Amino acid sequence: MAPSHPVEFDAALLARYDVTGPRYTSYPTAPFFREDFGEREYRARALATNEDPIPRPLSLYVHLPFCESPCFYCGCTRFITRDHGNAARYLDRLEREVTLQGALFDPDRSVVQLHLGGGTPNFLSLAELERLLRALRTTFRLDSGEARDFSIELDPRHVAPGDLAALAGLGFNRVSLGVQDFDEAVQQAINRIQPRAQTEDAVAAAREAGMRSVNLDLIYGLPRQRPDTFAKTLEGVLAIRPERIALYAYAHLPERFKAQRQIAAADLPEPAVKLELLGSAIRALTGAGYCYIGMDHFALPADPLARALEAGTLQRNFQGYTTHGQCDLVGFGASAIGHVDDCYAQNARDLADYYGALEAGRLPVVRGLVLDEDDRIRAEIIQSVMCRNALDYGAIEVRFGIRFEERFARELASLRPLADDGLIVTGERGFTVTPRGRLLLRVVAMAFDASAQHAGEAPAWAGRKPARPHFSRVI
Amino acid sequence: MDPAESPLPRVDSRSLDLRLLQRSCATCGLSQLCLPASIGGEDLTRLDRVVQAKRPLEREQTLYGAGQPFHSLYVVRSGAFKTYSVDNEGETQVLGFHLPGEIMGLDAIASGRHECSAEALDRASVCEVPFDKLEEIARELPGLQQQLLRVISREIQHDQRHLVMIGRKLALERLAIFLHSLSQRLERVRRDPHVIVLPMSRRDLANYLGLAIETVSRLFSRLGELGVISVERKTVRILDPAKLRELAGEVRRGRIAGDSR
Repeated sequence: MAPSHPVEFDAALLARYDVTGPRYTSYPTAPFFREDFGEREYRARALATNEDPIPRPLSLYVHLPFCESPCFYCGCTRFITRDHGNAARYLDRLEREVTLQGALFDPDRSVVQLHLGGGTPNFLSLAELERLLRALRTTFRLDSGEARDFSIELDPRHVAPGDLAALAGLGFNRVSLGVQDFDEAVQQAINRIQPRAQTEDAVAAAREAGMRSVNLDLIYGLPRQRPDTFAKTLEGVLAIRPERIALYAYAHLPERFKAQRQIAAADLPEPAVKLELLGSAIRALTGAGYCYIGMDHFALPADPLARALEAGTLQRNFQGYTTHGQCDLVGFGASAIGHVDDCYAQNARDLADYYGALEAGRLPVVRGLVLDEDDRIRAEIIQSVMCRNALDYGAIEVRFGIRFEERFARELASLRPLADDGLIVTGERGFTVTPRGRLLLRVVAMAFDASAQHAGEAPAWAGRKPARPHFSRVI
Repeated sequence: MDPAESPLPRVDSRSLDLRLLQRSCATCGLSQLCLPASIGGEDLTRLDRVVQAKRPLEREQTLYGAGQPFHSLYVVRSGAFKTYSVDNEGETQVLGFHLPGEIMGLDAIASGRHECSAEALDRASVCEVPFDKLEEIARELPGLQQQLLRVISREIQHDQRHLVMIGRKLALERLAIFLHSLSQRLERVRRDPHVIVLPMSRRDLANYLGLAIETVSRLFSRLGELGVISVERKTVRILDPAKLRELAGEVRRGRIAGDSR
């Protein structure tokens, strides 16, 4: 069956649009969060979400920032340590945060999505993860139904036999494994030696344990990566046939991310090669039957993400693409971002600040943003572009009571060159993104970003979920 | 159309300023629901002089508290209020919700003290009617006297129906009755009766209907599944008014029944 959202790789077009841009896991994006938003503002907004006749279900994100060793490509909020005492100390604070947050949400609101990200969530021992889940379960009503989406990011290098069965026992039904590349030379260059068998064993254990879905993370553009070796990596991945694959671009920003200074610029593939890596990966994955969901994500046609794309119900939030967009998202842990009601709230990134607030009995919210009407309209437009590859002006008008062409005249004008280049096809009262344009979704979305004037200057995309490199470039 | 579209400054009831005249009961869109219903001309002007438009209240601000001495009745001009009492154990009971045109404070006439508290659910405004002055005028105006009795009777009727509902009705019926009542009340102030923006929290609603909060949500979902309503955040759209009337028990008891407060 041909997907109704095909994708087409056009190297020349991609090279032309290789600009900086946000990933739109939120709008406005994290760099525009304000320091004058704090605990007080967050509490009021969170409490207000209980007032709806049908309050939204909850989605919980827990950031577990520790790693035993640094992967050189990484540009995220994480702390390198071999002292596992850190995990217990962190959990002490996390438990307090769970209690404080739990008091804000009515106890009948069920948690339909839970995601543990990092760092390396399995830096924590099984006993520690169990302790975390117990704390969450005591405070929140964790859904036990089939439709729940409870996932954990795992480093296969730290997966022991029996771990996945134990995690399934804790309620997890999805796992995401970091791979990046199976090639040894690349693995050496990024300081992440992970024999292919380790990944395969972890996936086998996950399936054995009854996990409904496995995701593998890959990165293209890494040092010493070559089209022929990356093709072999893809072959290996396709042999595993995970339900989902994330294919990220490596962005080399050594001046911002210290670990990246360990990577020799000379080892990095040339831009043309990087594009070739992407093109061959897209061909390999779609050729093997994967659907291109959008941005960096692929999924098998039977996967809920692929079905949601088909059905037009796909959503995008801080956890990437999701089928649970209609939740209030509560963030726990250092640097975590929540999205409740019409506000975003981010925790302190620094451990000392994060600990300090919780020890004083305060929520560690340090920045955030309350969306105004303009933000809400633009967020809705960007959602539509990112998740439905189309925009219907009439739908936005009905929802917000505006005249679209009047309100967004400047934005529509800025879309014209994109239409001329074949990224989008405009109709009477809307546009759709073409297969060629789908790899440039965020370029289309940026036309409606009120802060897109910043597009050229590479703002610090301080997303809360930097378990992977930060991508300042579209490709 | 909001009958009290802009917040009113406090005005001295004895001064005859232009604004007062413009804001008089005669021009108020709520007058058909309120005390002046059956009086007119000169008499209305007399009543007008004692009615004071109060400064708007913010969300969660208290208009009067239980136990406070009673001086005035209040008519909601815009926004909404809840009235509630707190028992010795500290348990709150929500007694009612009051929309534009509805009168609060009648329960205090007997004892001279407010029996319950009234709190704004959102930014809201009221007209204050000092009771001693109202009595004075009412003595000379049989029409007003009668209207006052009607209003009190309407209030008693409403409370009785609520008691029956709490005592007997199935949970789904309770919610249907409530939504139907809100819809009728919106229609009376000439608003779209099929779009209800619920001013009260789920907790207050549950308390008022004598249901658990999760039950309230389940029932809203159920009515949604039945195609009777759609719910987005606090906005409830009535998609099938006939079905809602039926669920509220209106059909069996005829048009006059239901919560026609």
